[in-house]
Amino acid sequence: MVATFLSQWSLASRPSIDKWSMVTVILCCFLLGPVAALLLAALGDSGGLWGHLVDTVLATYVTNTLLLMGGVGGVAVVFGVSSAWVISRYDFAGRAMLEWMLLLPAAIPAYIIAYCYTDFFEYAGPVQSALRTAFGWQSPRDYYFPEIRSVGGAVLVMASVLYPYIYMVTRIAFRLTPASLFEIALVHNKSQFWHVGLPLARPAIVAGLALVMMEVVSDFGTVEYFAVQTITLGIFNVWLGMNNLVAAAQISSVGFLFILGLLGLELYARSRQQYVSTSRTQNSLAPLPTTGLGTCVCWLLCLMPLSFGFFIPLGVLLRFVLRGDVIAEFLAIQPVVINSVVVAIAAAIFIMLVASVIVLTAAFRAGSKLRKLALMSSTGYAFPGTILAIGVLIYAGYIDHLLRLISGGMISSFLVAGMGLLMLAYLVRFQAVGYGAMLSGVRRLPENLMSASRVLGHGYGASLRQIILPLLKSSFVAGLMLVFVDIMKELPMTLLLRPFDFETLATHTYQFAKDEMLEKAALPALMIVMSGLIPVILMSAMLRRYR
Amino acid sequence: MIMYTTICSNHERFFRRWLVMGVFALCLWLPTQVFAAGTVNIYSHRQQLLIQPFLDAFTKATGIETKTVYAAKGLAQRLQAEGAASPADVILTVDIARLAEYAALDLLAPVDSAVLAANIPAHLRASDNRWFGLSERARILVTSKDRVPADAIQTIEDLAKDEWRGRICTRPGSHVYNRALMASLIAAHGAEAAESWARDFVSNLARKPQGNDRAQAKAIFQGICDVAIMNSYYYGNMKFSDDADQRLWADSLRLVFTNQQDRGNHINISGAGIAKYSPNKKEALAFLEFLTGEVAQQLYGTINYEYPVNPAVAPPAELASWGAFKRDELPIERLAALATEAQMIIDRVGW
Repeated sequence: MVATFLSQWSLASRPSIDKWSMVTVILCCFLLGPVAALLLAALGDSGGLWGHLVDTVLATYVTNTLLLMGGVGGVAVVFGVSSAWVISRYDFAGRAMLEWMLLLPAAIPAYIIAYCYTDFFEYAGPVQSALRTAFGWQSPRDYYFPEIRSVGGAVLVMASVLYPYIYMVTRIAFRLTPASLFEIALVHNKSQFWHVGLPLARPAIVAGLALVMMEVVSDFGTVEYFAVQTITLGIFNVWLGMNNLVAAAQISSVGFLFILGLLGLELYARSRQQYVSTSRTQNSLAPLPTTGLGTCVCWLLCLMPLSFGFFIPLGVLLRFVLRGDVIAEFLAIQPVVINSVVVAIAAAIFIMLVASVIVLTAAFRAGSKLRKLALMSSTGYAFPGTILAIGVLIYAGYIDHLLRLISGGMISSFLVAGMGLLMLAYLVRFQAVGYGAMLSGVRRLPENLMSASRVLGHGYGASLRQIILPLLKSSFVAGLMLVFVDIMKELPMTLLLRPFDFETLATHTYQFAKDEMLEKAALPALMIVMSGLIPVILMSAMLRRYR
Repeated sequence: MIMYTTICSNHERFFRRWLVMGVFALCLWLPTQVFAAGTVNIYSHRQQLLIQPFLDAFTKATGIETKTVYAAKGLAQRLQAEGAASPADVILTVDIARLAEYAALDLLAPVDSAVLAANIPAHLRASDNRWFGLSERARILVTSKDRVPADAIQTIEDLAKDEWRGRICTRPGSHVYNRALMASLIAAHGAEAAESWARDFVSNLARKPQGNDRAQAKAIFQGICDVAIMNSYYYGNMKFSDDADQRLWADSLRLVFTNQQDRGNHINISGAGIAKYSPNKKEALAFLEFLTGEVAQQLYGTINYEYPVNPAVAPPAELASWGAFKRDELPIERLAALATEAQMIIDRVGW
């Protein structure tokens, strides 16, 4: 009797709109708020500035940005995919160590690595000094040396620290590709990499590449230091140089639409293809043992990105740190270290939970409209940090104003004061990272897994908990780790949106790095890298467990 | 069945753990700050390490505590978004363009203070008393002691001459310091003549504009170029740097105050204003007045080699040893008014 009543009751009260979809729609709209605020700001009158820009600098901005995107994308894919392939496909001495070490460059902020490389390659740096000693050159007029502060230099520097985005997801994709597929390639005498591994990993590679592209478009620190005139540099010239925030918002929006176009193109290209393994229970292929030359090649492919992205900058930083009083400086920045780590962990967990809800609902409960909305919600990443921070400010201002009105002044500056603003900004920006990680995990699940569970009588929630989520643990942890290191090194938003007297390692580093005082910036920069190291190691261990 | 339950509870534990941590993370959303009354809350475009000695001296002298947020850009927009609820009292900036931005967005309160009027010359503060210059920084030329004879170059205009082809280094034109310099040239010669100067000047550069002013000194030391544009305080900072290399760079330089026979050397200011909705206006004013007084004005010179604005305060010995010089007394507001035009010229000539 009671049971019947309950079942009737639950049937009757079933909301006409599914609650998971509702929550997701609300979340997505909330996340899109700052982007909408920026687009709204772009609708204003820019006072005819576009004519001037088109006549003078716009072509340079666009060319440089495209060169940078192509270059960084290309190099990062080569670095990320080749290392992921040898790590997952071959067995060689030191593989276990290289597997997690390859993630380390992700912990180095691009603006720091730019300083390090300038120091390394410039006239007075170790490379040119060694060359001069070796060949007996006397002055800069005696020989040619490529300028590190150039598009090429920026490509090298950015690709070296951004490739882990691709490496991380691609490695998981390679690992989860069933052995039977590789065996088919073997039988037909086709390349396992070109005909099986690469095509099946494409969604993962593209997910990583999308993040890399957005990072490139939004980067300000590196291009400013290298004086490469990109669209983002132009945004700041217009905003601060000509006091024209409207025009700056307009240029940002154009860059943003450009990224949307790229994402759309990839979606379209993939819309008629399905990459689903129906045999998740199969073993992955056992890695092939290698011998002498093979081992060397494997090491070379792993060491190249690792040297550019980690060892060289680490060496430069260490050289500076060891000149100073390490222990005293180290003790002085302890509170800053703790501050950074606590905030980054808290925000990372929060972001991953939000990203999981959005991805899972979009994948299993929603139609194509909600899926597109979910994808849109992760596009905050394509704006330069400071510009997105401005969007967050405008948006938070609206919300606070609204709250004041509703509460009759009882609640005031809920977002604008304290940590709220910063957490909102992190969420809006880095949700994309969590989204990418979870999505590439979901894409690898058989599509009918959820349906099978539902047919067998489990509810949506129970199916998620018992079937889907356990299979996504590694994606969750991978996303958590990427978001954590991203927040550890995040600079422009933290700088602008932080509460009074609040320092993170990134802001602490910046106040010295800004004036090119590398000797003082080196230790906190090194601490960012070190703090990134611990979770990288921990989470790699977890990943291995959930394999 | 038992096995199924164990697996299940294992997974559930995994996710419950993350959920609990998520709730903990959510707690950080709550407003964590209570703004103490009687504190001066500062939005600063100047680095913490430069302003900390001033804050310490102020607290020591008055007992009033201070809190700061430092960011290079966007603080005006933050102040704007916060509106009447903003906790900020004082805005500290470098460069007139930033001060003008705050004034244009109507974020500053007019201040009526006899002390400030007496301590700051009229051309270094806003005509409507919304912002005030606190220290002067001269944009000078530095030349190589070895390769350039004394008096070989005397004006900014000289940089456009053919004899300097391939011998000049500078940071990018769109940096505020260069934009203000460009604006001063427009003010002196008109836009057309200024643009033609800029074009010739850019064609004389030894390398693509890059780095900050310190990087230009290094380039002269290394022989990449012979003359560079630099803010005066960089020289002091290098001369007394902890880093032995930088002391060498400074040692290779000769300082040139420009245009001494005509309008004087171009100067810029660091400055401050009181926020329109400042909750602690009394303390904020006390802070501003302190910054223009004897103690703080001396500090500008000793800490960062900037010149005092207060005519009653003599610059410290080190600054005095660089020589007295004639300043361009163009009302500093003009630089802000001409900034957009200056940036457009910079875009056109590719500086």
